[in-house]
Amino acid sequence: MNTGKSSLVVPRRQALLGAAAIAAAPLARPFIGYAAAAETIKIGLLLAKTGDIAAQTEYLANGTYLALEERGNKIMGQPAELVWLDEPSPQGSQQNMQKLVQENKVVAILGGSLSSNGLAEQATAAQLKIPFVCNNAAATDMSGKNCNHYTFRLNTPVAVQAAMFAPYLMGYGKKWYFITANYAFGQDIAKSFKEILIKAGGTVVGDDSVPLNTPDYSSFILKIRQAKPDMILGGVPAGDLSTFLKQWNEIGMKGTIPVCEIAIGDTDIWAVGQEAATGLYTSLWWYDNPNNPPDEKAMAADYQKKYGKPAADKAWMGWIAAKSLFESIEQAKSTETEAIIKGLESWKGGTAANPYYWRKGDHQMLLRNLVVQVKPKITDKWDYFDVKGVVPQNVADLEKVFGDPVANGCHMTAT
Amino acid sequence: MLDVLLSQVAAGLVLGGLYVLIAIGLSIIFGLLGIVNFAHGNFFALGAYFALTLYQYLGWPAVLLAPVLVGVVGMAVERTLIRQLYDKEPLVSLIVTFALALMIEALLRLIYGGIGQPFNQPPFLSGIYLWGPVLITKYRLTVFLTTIALLIGLWAFMQFTPFGRILRAGSRDPEMVGLLGIRLPRVLTAVFGLGCALAGVAGMLAAPLWTVIPSMSENAIMPAFVVVVIGGLGSFAGAVIAGLLVGVITALTIQFQPDAANAVMYVFMAAVLLVRPRGLLGERWERFE
Repeated sequence: MNTGKSSLVVPRRQALLGAAAIAAAPLARPFIGYAAAAETIKIGLLLAKTGDIAAQTEYLANGTYLALEERGNKIMGQPAELVWLDEPSPQGSQQNMQKLVQENKVVAILGGSLSSNGLAEQATAAQLKIPFVCNNAAATDMSGKNCNHYTFRLNTPVAVQAAMFAPYLMGYGKKWYFITANYAFGQDIAKSFKEILIKAGGTVVGDDSVPLNTPDYSSFILKIRQAKPDMILGGVPAGDLSTFLKQWNEIGMKGTIPVCEIAIGDTDIWAVGQEAATGLYTSLWWYDNPNNPPDEKAMAADYQKKYGKPAADKAWMGWIAAKSLFESIEQAKSTETEAIIKGLESWKGGTAANPYYWRKGDHQMLLRNLVVQVKPKITDKWDYFDVKGVVPQNVADLEKVFGDPVANGCHMTAT
Repeated sequence: MLDVLLSQVAAGLVLGGLYVLIAIGLSIIFGLLGIVNFAHGNFFALGAYFALTLYQYLGWPAVLLAPVLVGVVGMAVERTLIRQLYDKEPLVSLIVTFALALMIEALLRLIYGGIGQPFNQPPFLSGIYLWGPVLITKYRLTVFLTTIALLIGLWAFMQFTPFGRILRAGSRDPEMVGLLGIRLPRVLTAVFGLGCALAGVAGMLAAPLWTVIPSMSENAIMPAFVVVVIGGLGSFAGAVIAGLLVGVITALTIQFQPDAANAVMYVFMAAVLLVRPRGLLGERWERFE
C-alpha cells in the first residue's frame, strides 16, 4: 500500500537518534573491547619479522598458528588469539615483551628466534613473571646458568647437541676447521666442540669468527682450502649458512671437505638449492621421518594442505612449543602464571617409546635429536635429507645426555 | 703467504666490483636528484628476485632482462613518489625512501615468502681458474669483467653522449639546464631508473652468490653508502676506487682478523673522512653546501 511517503525519507527524530548513536559509539567502544578482552585468552608471539632469521620465523609462526587452529582457536572453551610482535634486537625484543604483557595482557609468551634475543627475553620474563616458552634459541646458558622459573626452552642446548653429534664427526678425522658466527650461538658452538675435539686428541687447524650477515665467504673459503682440514665445523646461522654453502659449491669445494653443523633449519638448506647443498647436521625433526608419531604426521599433512609445502623442522618447533603451552593451560584450567608453569612441568608429548617433556629442574625439553645428511642426489625440491641416526640411541639416556641441571649451572628458585 | 694474499685480493676485487655497481647508482641518484635513496638496496634485491623469476619461467638468457625491469620499476617509483620530494627537506626523503625500503621488502616476503630461494650460477659458468697462486671462479671472473665493461660503458655514456652531458650539467645546476629548454623532469625520471637498473645489475650478478632472501638488501645498502661516502658524494671515479678498496681491505682483513671483516670498512671510512672530509675524490658542490 502506498502510504504517500518515500522509503528514502528518514523521520527527523530517527535521524537525530541515529546521529547521536554514531557520535556516542566511540564512548562505548572501550567497554565493548573490555568485555571481549575478558573472554579472549591472548598468547604473545615474539618472533623476528625481518632479517635473515625471518626465513625460520615464518615457519615457527606458521606452526604456532596451526597449533591454535587445530584447537578451533579455543583454549578452555574460550576464544584464544595470538598477538605477534617483532624481535628487532635483544633490547627491542625486551621492550616488545613488556608491551605484550602490559598493553596486550597476554597470559604467556612463545618465541625467541635467536640466542641473543632469547637470552634477553628470558631475563625479562623473570622480571615480568610471565611464562615464556622459547621455541628456537639454542644457547647453552638459557637452561644453564641463566635458567629461571618462568622460561621453558625447546631447542637442545648447544653443548648437549655437540656431545651427541661428536661421535659421528670423529669418523671424518681430527683436524677440524671452525667457522662460527661471532655472537652467542656461534661462540657457544666453538667453545663446546673445541673442548670435545681437544679431549679426543684432535687439532683446531683454523678458527674463524665470522660477523653475522656476511655476504661473501670466498675469502674464508680460500683460508679453509689452504688449511686442508679433515672437516669443517660450522656455526653460522640461517641465511648465513645458505650463503656459505652456495659459495662453497661455487668455488668447487663441495665434496672435497665435509661440512658439519648443529641446530640448522631445513629452510637454510632448502635455500641452497639441489646442486649446492651438502653436509651432515643435527635437527630436531624431519617431516619425512617414517618414525614420526601419528599426531606429528597429521600436523605435517595439515601443514602441507594449508601452505602447499612441507612443514620444516621450525614449523614443528613452533607447533610443539605452542601445543604444549595450550594443553598445559587447558590442563591447569587457569591462565594464572604458576598454574601454567605447573602444567608445563607435567606435560608430556611424543609416544611411550619416544617421549619428550619439559624437565622440572631446568625447564629444558628433553628430546632425542636426529642426525641428518644431505642426500648424494636430490630429486625432490624439498626432500633433502637422509636420517642417519637418532641421538641418544637409547631413550633411557636422555637425562644423562642432557646432564644434571645443577651441574649445568641451573639453580632455579620457585619465584 | 703471497699466494694466499693474491687470491684474497682477487676475491676482494670481485666483491668490491659488486659494491661499486650498487654504489654508482646511489651516487648518480644523489648527484642529480639530491635524494639519499634508502631503498637502493631493495632495488638490488629486486634485481635478484626478477633474475630468479625470469630464469624459472624463461631460462638463462631472459635473466638479462632483470635490470631493465628494475629500471622500469624505478622510473615508476620516481614518477609517483620520489618526484614529490624534490622541494622537501632532505630528512623527508630519508624517511620516505626508508618506508619504501620496508614496503619493497614486505612485498617480496608476501610474494616469495621469507625463506631463501635457491639460485646458483649457470652451468656454463661453473668451474674455477687456477693461475699460478691465484684462484678465481669462472662466475666471479665473469662478474668482475661485466662490472668493468659496464663501468666503462657508463663513463663513455656520461662523457660523450648529449644525455650524459645533460646529466652532468643537471647535477651541478639544474635550474640552468631547465632554462636551456631541457625538460628536466623526464631526465630525472630516466636518471632514477638508470640508478635503480644499476642496482638491479648488481642484484642479478649477486643472486647466484648471495642468499636470495627479502632481507638481502641489508647486506648491500650499508656498503654502498660507505663506498659513496669514501669516494666522495656524486663522484663516479671516487665510487669506483672506494668500492674496489673496500672489497680488497675486507678480504685482507678476513685473512688476518676475520671477526673484524664487516667493521673494517667503517674504520676505513672514518680514517678517510679525517684526512679528506669530502671523500677521496669529492668536490665542493654549491647546491649541497
